[in-house]
Amino acid sequence: MNNSVKSLLAVLFGLLAGAVLMMLTGHNPIEGYQYLVQGGLKNPERIGNTLATATPLILTGLSVAFAFRTGLFNIGAAGQMLVGGFCATAVGLSLDLPRGMLLPLMVLAGFIGGALWAVVPGFLKARYNVHEVVSTIMMNWIAYWTVYYVIPAYFKGDSVETESRQLPANAMLRESWLSDMFQGSYINLGFFIAVLTVIIVAFLINKTTLGYELKAVGFNRHASEYAGIGVNRSIVLSMFIAGGIAGLAGVAQYTGNASSIQIGILPSQGFDGIAVALLGANAPLGVLASALFFGLLYSGRGFMNAMTDIPPEIADTIIAIIIYFAATSILIERLIRKLRLRRSANKKQED
Amino acid sequence: MKKGVISLISLALSVTMLAGCGSSNTGTEPSGSGSAGEETPKANFKVGMVTDAGTIDDKSFNQGTFEGIVKASEDFGLEHKYLKPGGETEADYTKEITNLYDAGFKFIVTPGFKFETAIFKAQDRYTDAKFVLIDGAPNSGEPGAEPVVKENTVSIFFAEHESGFLAGVAAALHVKEGQAGFIGGLEIPPVQKFNWGFQQGVNYANENLGTNLVINKENVVYQGSFDNVAAGGQLAAQMYNNGVDVIFAAAGGVGVGAITEAKSRAEQGEDIWIIGVDVDQYSDGIYDGDKSVVLTSAVKKIDAAAYDMIKAELDGNFPGGQTITLDAKSDGVGLPEENPNLSEEVLSQVDEVFNKIKSGEVTVSAEQGDLIK
Amino acid sequence: MDYVVEMVGIRKEFPGIVANDDITLRLKKGEIHALLGENGAGKSTLMSILFGMYQPDRGTIKVSGKEVRITNPNVASRLGIGMVHQHFKLVEPFTVTENIILGSETRRLGFMLDVRTAAKRVEELSKKYGLNVDPYAKIEDISVGMQQRVEILKMLYRDAEVLIFDEPTAVLTPQEIEDLQNIMKNLVKEGKSIILITHKLKEIKAVADRCTVIRRGKTIGTVDVAETSREEMAEMMVGRSISFKVDKVESKPGEPVLEIQSLTVKNSKKVDALKAFTLDVRAGEIVGIAGVDGNGQSELVETITGLMKAESGSIRLNGQEISGLSVRERNESGIGHIPEDRQKRGLVLDYTLEENIILQVYNKQPYSKHGILQPAVIRKHAEQIIQSFDVRSGTGARSVVRSMSGGNQQKAIIGREVERDPDLLIAVQPTRGLDVGSIEYIHKRLVEQRDKGKAVLLVSLELDEVMNLSDRIAVINNGELVGIVNASETNEQELGLMMAGIHKEEGTS
Repeated sequence: MNNSVKSLLAVLFGLLAGAVLMMLTGHNPIEGYQYLVQGGLKNPERIGNTLATATPLILTGLSVAFAFRTGLFNIGAAGQMLVGGFCATAVGLSLDLPRGMLLPLMVLAGFIGGALWAVVPGFLKARYNVHEVVSTIMMNWIAYWTVYYVIPAYFKGDSVETESRQLPANAMLRESWLSDMFQGSYINLGFFIAVLTVIIVAFLINKTTLGYELKAVGFNRHASEYAGIGVNRSIVLSMFIAGGIAGLAGVAQYTGNASSIQIGILPSQGFDGIAVALLGANAPLGVLASALFFGLLYSGRGFMNAMTDIPPEIADTIIAIIIYFAATSILIERLIRKLRLRRSANKKQED
Repeated sequence: MKKGVISLISLALSVTMLAGCGSSNTGTEPSGSGSAGEETPKANFKVGMVTDAGTIDDKSFNQGTFEGIVKASEDFGLEHKYLKPGGETEADYTKEITNLYDAGFKFIVTPGFKFETAIFKAQDRYTDAKFVLIDGAPNSGEPGAEPVVKENTVSIFFAEHESGFLAGVAAALHVKEGQAGFIGGLEIPPVQKFNWGFQQGVNYANENLGTNLVINKENVVYQGSFDNVAAGGQLAAQMYNNGVDVIFAAAGGVGVGAITEAKSRAEQGEDIWIIGVDVDQYSDGIYDGDKSVVLTSAVKKIDAAAYDMIKAELDGNFPGGQTITLDAKSDGVGLPEENPNLSEEVLSQVDEVFNKIKSGEVTVSAEQGDLIK
Repeated sequence: MDYVVEMVGIRKEFPGIVANDDITLRLKKGEIHALLGENGAGKSTLMSILFGMYQPDRGTIKVSGKEVRITNPNVASRLGIGMVHQHFKLVEPFTVTENIILGSETRRLGFMLDVRTAAKRVEELSKKYGLNVDPYAKIEDISVGMQQRVEILKMLYRDAEVLIFDEPTAVLTPQEIEDLQNIMKNLVKEGKSIILITHKLKEIKAVADRCTVIRRGKTIGTVDVAETSREEMAEMMVGRSISFKVDKVESKPGEPVLEIQSLTVKNSKKVDALKAFTLDVRAGEIVGIAGVDGNGQSELVETITGLMKAESGSIRLNGQEISGLSVRERNESGIGHIPEDRQKRGLVLDYTLEENIILQVYNKQPYSKHGILQPAVIRKHAEQIIQSFDVRSGTGARSVVRSMSGGNQQKAIIGREVERDPDLLIAVQPTRGLDVGSIEYIHKRLVEQRDKGKAVLLVSLELDEVMNLSDRIAVINNGELVGIVNASETNEQELGLMMAGIHKEEGTS
């Protein structure tokens, strides 16, 4: 409750700061925001695109949030997402199965791929106390270069060397009824996978003994040892699940939002996931809401650019400022507390 | 430049046999050009651009395209705008194209092969808009898909290998004896063609013009991105340490890193060179006030291409449905006008080779053949 | 009357609480003045105000009769007020003198450190007040008691006239406590004035002249220590009468529950922390472990509970060897553990009270079924413990433990461990940092366990606690068992000597 108020306040601060920047650069913030919102929500297609943009963010945000709840800082969502997307794409390109079998298999492959990618840092942390921030970042680059090598070597497209072959329609998360419903938007089944994952993770974290264990280890490793919880096992398991969720983001991104996997890029959603998780106060439903908000910003930004004279760089800065303010909501809380303290102190002094 | 523009236009028109009417003499005085008389075409259309990966000031593709658009807009009094996609997927590109379209920008220029599938769909969806796709041809992206250039779209390619060839000749003539290296960005056709052309040019000079510039296998490297500036510097340092005298960097931001490394070495008094790409990068290599470490640049006249397409649309000659390749013959590729680092003698020899390519006496292959990488 | 420090009508409010509400403290020149109060009564706030770390909302401070505003610790220092902190602020690899002059270095030629002159002064001060400190010794090489004297010297070096001692005896052995008390007496003899912050009545009785008691931010009164009994002071402090003697009947020990045979354990630095340690604890008795902190107590407890691995030796519980078992298996086979550091080990501070109550049993029926927690059952269990162990918190079972007071946190742990009904209850420092009321309550509970026929192993650094509660006392020094004595047949002197490693002939039992 308190957290959601904090987050909303943070968003408000962010929007205000963005407005100030727009004014400083000589633009009308009301007009800007109006087009920003319109760009994300004006018609069914744009709504669909906003949801599709949010889909990988929901999942990477959830991955970071889940890890965070269990005391781990997963900076490696980008790499896990890439590997997850790669595994799903590899399955989709290699197997010729009915859609009803192929899609679940791809989703599973994506989950496992991301999960295994995250297990390595988990294991290193549990066994050798290697900090996961370092090892997950390194795993990002290993993922980057692995995909960089494997895609051209085994899944090369016909014309371009930097992408895999296009997935056949059969092996993609897009559904024609869904695209039609949203008038040609690229929204796809990935969105439902994301929402379902949010529900499952919420249940796992809050209602199960497993969630209890993992959170306990995250909050206090020593107390968990004392209680007889297998701390190392929990760390590895946490990373497994967090990585798997990030892997699903890769499935949604590369087999739903896109139809092939590119080399030479670490998906930015992996890093945005950190901000999404922060703004969502690391709670699954909060992550869902904050990812949708981010999706709206990213999706509407181009229309704001197109309709106003705000150049893309300023638009990017505005988005970044909103995110920055939103993500540092903890600081805002601290600031407010300090201000309140100072005011009461001053009042006392005057007495 | 102006000469290039004119010949480009005439080429475009000659290719466009269908539309090949006699108005090809319009281009000499752009702003005063007169089919419509005064500046009435102003309200006609608005020019939009979607950038590829990288920024608008990438000293390469995006910047070149945009400069052409800006110049045309100024000359003809058009409104223009560019949008920056959030990612590099078809969906990201399509979103920005839609944004431009919804905002009334119905002449849309997109630089880069990554736009192929997005333009493939957009040309069907927005039939009342015009699209210029540089370095790519619209296709569905499915395996074995044929390019489909609709009536509202023009697809433009460059003969990068010819540009690279000239750079190779110039490098060999200038250095005479030593080693050359190549740093590429991603291993994609335009970059590869620069590389292969460069190697052919060096070989040509060695065989016909009495030079001895060697390219070793380990000095031909694709960094793997267009934005890793630090890696560019490292690769360049490694090559220079291995005794390379001149590096051809066709690698966007990676090339910027390589140029920076070259600059710092030149400042220390090392006798090394670097060759720029896409646009004239001479000014990027300036050190000690007036010297530049950029020997020359393998130029693709992207700005001219964009400019000419806008002009063609204005004149009612938009070569819709065409796939145009700009090469030496059309002056769409080559070396910069000014090459302060090259001697008169070298320049005249390069010019000679240039003319031979134009005339077909020398042919440059766009294929790897038995070249390195 | 000649007061060096007068704090009159001091009020300090923090968001949500009034830490000090109209407190008055007057310190006479040349006296030891105790400031007595439970945890959270407002002692630290008051002293922080005197030391310049907080500004009072209301009230006046006078030093030597002149009204002053102490805006920061430097001002306090200039006014001659010095504080000996509970946790020393010393640089380990530096010498005594270097530490003392840190921040007010004497220089030669403007930049060269003049250590020699400083050391000479340190030596003079040390001699004058009977501190017996070697000015050239390194901090890491000297004992805790010595380190504390360095802290005192720091103040004297800066010409402090008023010294504040914040819980100075918490880290000391009985002998060291006695030495400290002598030093304090020397200091006042030489004209210094001392404020002693403590909740230990015995120490007040031993050294203080007067005592100001505060409770819940208010001054209850200032009394003459010589004329006031401990019981009276305790009553002022907590607001009701307190009994100090733990009421217990003679123990009726049964079968051994815990049998430790020549246990050797290496600590994290690969040094033997426990050397061939042997000890039995029988059903229906409390065995106390007495020793100075850091002599192997933690390792002993962690090895029994499975948190550390033994090098050699055996641990048997009810006749079964348990040294190969995991922590969870040991918990399940009948060990309850009230850990030394309740916030680090004993609780997940960010969990709610009810979540902490199921810390070891969350995966057992009926608290969970098929991997899914059963909130209703958990709530009921938590509420029962809350009630029977008098755990007080803001929102009952749903309170986040971090927000609870130390005493209530500890009661929650004790409730949890006792309710698991273990055969062996290990209680480490069960009353550390708690107020008199909570201590009394927890002691009763431990004795109750004993009387129910459980084996209780008590580890405490408070000698009084060990002596009061235990039936037998095992003294540990440097990882070795010095000896075992019957609590009823020993005294502080004997234990103190044993704690220093001087062997008693033979333990009786």
